[in-house]
Amino acid sequence: MEGLQQQQQQSKRNPMPNNEKMTKKNKKNNKTNKFEFCKVCNLNHDQGRRHIYFPNHIKSLSSYLSRFHKKLSDVRFFLKNPSLLRPEHAPRNRLWCVFCDSDIEELDSLFACGNAITHFASAEHLKNLNYFLWKYGGGMDRVDSFRISDEDVSKWEKKCESLKSFASSSSEGSYGPSLGPWKDIQNKHCCENTDSNEKNKVKSFKFSFSNSVLPLQCSTKERYQVSHPETNEIASAGLFSYNATSLPLSTEDNMHNWGMHLNKSTSMDLTASTCDPVYSGNQHSLVENSWKCSVDWSLSSEGVDRMGNGKSSNHVLQNLTQVFPLLLEESKGNVHTGAPPPWFEKNEENELNFQVDIGSNTNSLASSSSKSRMSGKLNPKRVGAAWAEKRKIEIEMEKRGEIVSSSCDTDWLPNFGRVWQSGTRKESRKEFEMEKHKLLKVECLSEGTIKLQPYISKRMRKDTGQFEGPADCS
Amino acid sequence: MSFLLTTLTKKREVDSIIRDTIDKVLVLRFGRASDAVCLQLDDILGKSARGVSKFATIALVDIDSEDVQVYVKYFDITLIPSTVFFFNAHHMKMDSGTADHTKWIGAFHRKQDFIDVVEAIFRGAMKGKLIVCCPLPPERIPKFQLLFKDV
Repeated sequence: MEGLQQQQQQSKRNPMPNNEKMTKKNKKNNKTNKFEFCKVCNLNHDQGRRHIYFPNHIKSLSSYLSRFHKKLSDVRFFLKNPSLLRPEHAPRNRLWCVFCDSDIEELDSLFACGNAITHFASAEHLKNLNYFLWKYGGGMDRVDSFRISDEDVSKWEKKCESLKSFASSSSEGSYGPSLGPWKDIQNKHCCENTDSNEKNKVKSFKFSFSNSVLPLQCSTKERYQVSHPETNEIASAGLFSYNATSLPLSTEDNMHNWGMHLNKSTSMDLTASTCDPVYSGNQHSLVENSWKCSVDWSLSSEGVDRMGNGKSSNHVLQNLTQVFPLLLEESKGNVHTGAPPPWFEKNEENELNFQVDIGSNTNSLASSSSKSRMSGKLNPKRVGAAWAEKRKIEIEMEKRGEIVSSSCDTDWLPNFGRVWQSGTRKESRKEFEMEKHKLLKVECLSEGTIKLQPYISKRMRKDTGQFEGPADCS
Repeated sequence: MSFLLTTLTKKREVDSIIRDTIDKVLVLRFGRASDAVCLQLDDILGKSARGVSKFATIALVDIDSEDVQVYVKYFDITLIPSTVFFFNAHHMKMDSGTADHTKWIGAFHRKQDFIDVVEAIFRGAMKGKLIVCCPLPPERIPKFQLLFKDV
């Protein structure tokens, strides 16, 4: 008891020194003891509140927020242009709200990104957003950029209602929801296609494709969708999926949906034949123009006639957004029309080149031409670079026939350095030249002294001598 | 005697091959087809001709032909076979530890030796060097006595 009391007194008597030490240590260690997880940097740190001011964190925060911003801008797009959400796509439209740490699903919404819009406008989201910005230091002035204001939401809701009313009004023959701006065209379709045995007429119209839902081209009745005997079904089905994949939709997954749909519906007819030359490889450009590409639709009657059974005409041409390339390439032809493949023309050029090369005799020519093609740029400091360039030009000209190959003069000698002790190479060559000259002179001289004369016999000489006069006689 | 390799008998032919081989090493063997060492060398040259074809051209010059004598004198060829290397019409020298750097005298021990030599010359030439070091160890370099010019 006494011991305890003493201890207590002691502790009371000396509170300060110990406590001071403790507090000092604590000040240093207090904040460094706790480990926190930073969602933005994706790491655990013990730096406490200081962490958000570190440059690494700032960088990762900016990228984090910009990524979320992109998703948000997609949602905002739908805010301005509400469109009806097809049930097939709903499971794929999910958004993760980074502030609320929750998934936003669209399973039960009628409109694209409907749930997301309502979420971003909600008070709870705002609260979470504020908390996030405080915790991770995003800048409290940016709150509004990460949420949707109530005004916008109300506008959007109005648009949605109008859409709903449109959808309900145009009921005859329409499969699924149709879209506002195309209402009239849709109605036209319905009127014209009541008689299913007639063939389709030429319809060409432009529209700005800014929605995820594909426009219908004609009325569709389910029973026509099934089993349509077509020989080139396979080919065109392939084309269809091709088609579908090039559609810009809200999510890429949606495209597969469309493709599947197309394959099932067996009406290939119009699109298959007509859009062949047109969507050659332009899917990419279209995929990239996400929402706002303008797609040309032109259905020629030829295609229809070709396919021509009565049943085929007004078949499920839904989802037949023919992806037409912005640059019309109809003139070039394609596999079906029997046009040569694009690489073939290039090949021809190469073949010609090769023939020329083979025709030329020496290996060196062929090798030089092939090497100039292969090796990009040879070292300009290599031995004899200047000579090589000059010679190449000469050979080119000779090939073309501009310069008659000037056979080098007989005295030409290559650059050769003989065995020598001092001086440059050229000196050794000069020496050689001098020696050559000496040799030549010697030869000339020796040739000069000897004069070859034909042998004349004495008798001959005698005979000639008698005529001339008394000459030397034997 | 290798069928792949062109044999040159005239100065004009030699000139044209020297002038037309651009950006490749030109290997000129001066020798006689009947000589034993020449045959050995020709065999190696013939076998490796295709392998080095991307950076070298090989040709044989018959020293018995009259036309070529000027070259025989110019290159100071006294022992055969002698191999002279050119790059872009410039003569390439190689220091192989012998007295004569201007040419390679004798045959090669192995095909790979020849390829190494040609590669060394090519690399040096591409860097702009007119003389290169021989990559072979001394035991594989054929030895000879150089007869100096005025001796």
